[in-house]
Amino acid sequence: MAHGASIQYEPVAEIGGGAYGTVYKARDTESGKFVALKSVRVQTDQNGLPISTVREVALLKRLEQFDHPNVVRLMDVCATQRSEQETKVTLVFEHVDQDLKTYLERAPAAGLSPDCIKDLMRQLLSGLAFLHSNRVMHRDLKPENILVTSQGQVKLADFGLARIYSCHMALTPVVVTLWYRPPEVLLQSSYATPVDIWSTACIFAEMYRRKPLFCGESEMDQLGKIFEVIGLPLDEEWPTDVKLSRKNFPPVTARPITDFVPEINEQGAKLLLEMLTFDPLKRVSALNALNHPYFQEEETLTQTKS
Amino acid sequence: MSHVQLSSSALERLVARRTFPLHRRTSVCRNLFGPVDHDELSREMKSSLREISERDQQRWNFNFETNTPLDGEYEWEKVTVDKTPTFYQDSVQTGRSRVPATPVKQRPSSESALPETPRMDVLERLAVPESSSTAPCPVEVNQENRTDKLNSGKQTHRQVPCVRRKRTAPADNTHITDFFVKRKRPADKKPADVSACHLSRSPTPLEQTPRKRIR
Repeated sequence: MAHGASIQYEPVAEIGGGAYGTVYKARDTESGKFVALKSVRVQTDQNGLPISTVREVALLKRLEQFDHPNVVRLMDVCATQRSEQETKVTLVFEHVDQDLKTYLERAPAAGLSPDCIKDLMRQLLSGLAFLHSNRVMHRDLKPENILVTSQGQVKLADFGLARIYSCHMALTPVVVTLWYRPPEVLLQSSYATPVDIWSTACIFAEMYRRKPLFCGESEMDQLGKIFEVIGLPLDEEWPTDVKLSRKNFPPVTARPITDFVPEINEQGAKLLLEMLTFDPLKRVSALNALNHPYFQEEETLTQTKS
Repeated sequence: MSHVQLSSSALERLVARRTFPLHRRTSVCRNLFGPVDHDELSREMKSSLREISERDQQRWNFNFETNTPLDGEYEWEKVTVDKTPTFYQDSVQTGRSRVPATPVKQRPSSESALPETPRMDVLERLAVPESSSTAPCPVEVNQENRTDKLNSGKQTHRQVPCVRRKRTAPADNTHITDFFVKRKRPADKKPADVSACHLSRSPTPLEQTPRKRIR
């Protein structure tokens, strides 16, 4: 069998390796700071770059002027025409050594301290509030695109690039992670900035658990796992513009969030639940989350670790 | 069918662009700036593109065309992906994660008046009229057959407040909520792979209209 397979299939490209396996990174000898290049190949027609790409880049540059501490710096955007049909857009970003994924992996065995989690969360939500107030949604927030500097500064990355990438999406049969995806996206309902709050909630829980909160293998499975925690939403909460019926899911009731995130304190649990609200309209906003009592209280005083 | 009143040069241009027969002219077309020498324009564009590329190359001492580092202020090194956050990887991998996400919002909707927030945002930031306000017609994609609208100040004026209004509506604290109610879309369609194909195409008529304003 292995025989037949090796004849039938021939490796075309190595995913996560080969041509895409390396990244160009440079040190600015004057400032000592690091930059890294990220290239995006964009299909063009007789009109040149798609106008959506141009807009996306314009927006990124505009956001850049605010110099927000919790957003990755975009230093430059360089375009080179590779052929009549393709233009390579190279984005020059500041380079940060690690993302939240590796940060969590490298955390001491005891896990992150409640103070550390709170600090990360505050920064994460500040970055999000900034993006949302500029009416940009991230849409794909996950530990891999939250950068954490060696000083513990959080920097959101990879937002606003959706349309630059869009032409490649058909070509990439890579498995997508559904774990941070909110119900409205899984249900293919309409969605907006609350999607990022949901993802942030999943990440919040993951900071304590150091493993993802909902590890679904398909859209249905992901929804099922979500409902096991937050309970099956009421019929009137179910979006009307979706094909998938509520009847497809077992009528489970919500379980205490501390069953899943035992280390979280009371206010943290409250905030987490506000962020894990099924209805995106009722889900807490980034700005309101920042004003939540969780961020007001002194961690050491309220921390009740049993 | 369509009765055309155009200068012969403008006509030629339209014919050359293969856009002419689709458009029915209803008002007088004034050609305020004379015919465009496309060859010259293209030459100028090419040379300024080259200038920009050279500037980029010098600034970063990196040849973006050949993807090779040059000598200079920046000390370039190649690092393997596992030594650096996945975010920095090239597009092919990074784009994957949006496969199912983007089609949902880019679905060509009958109510294009309310596209998802960021797109509108970008539009507004560039002070471009929302395409939907002009009842988007694929023919109008080309700026040249829209000279009537371009040259008429009235049209522009009418569109601007429209944009303004939209800007204030969903402004602070992201009450996309308004969208949710109105933006009911048929929840048909999906398979990420399929929709991914036309999502690169579908927004085109929508998004191209404003191009003329930028120029």
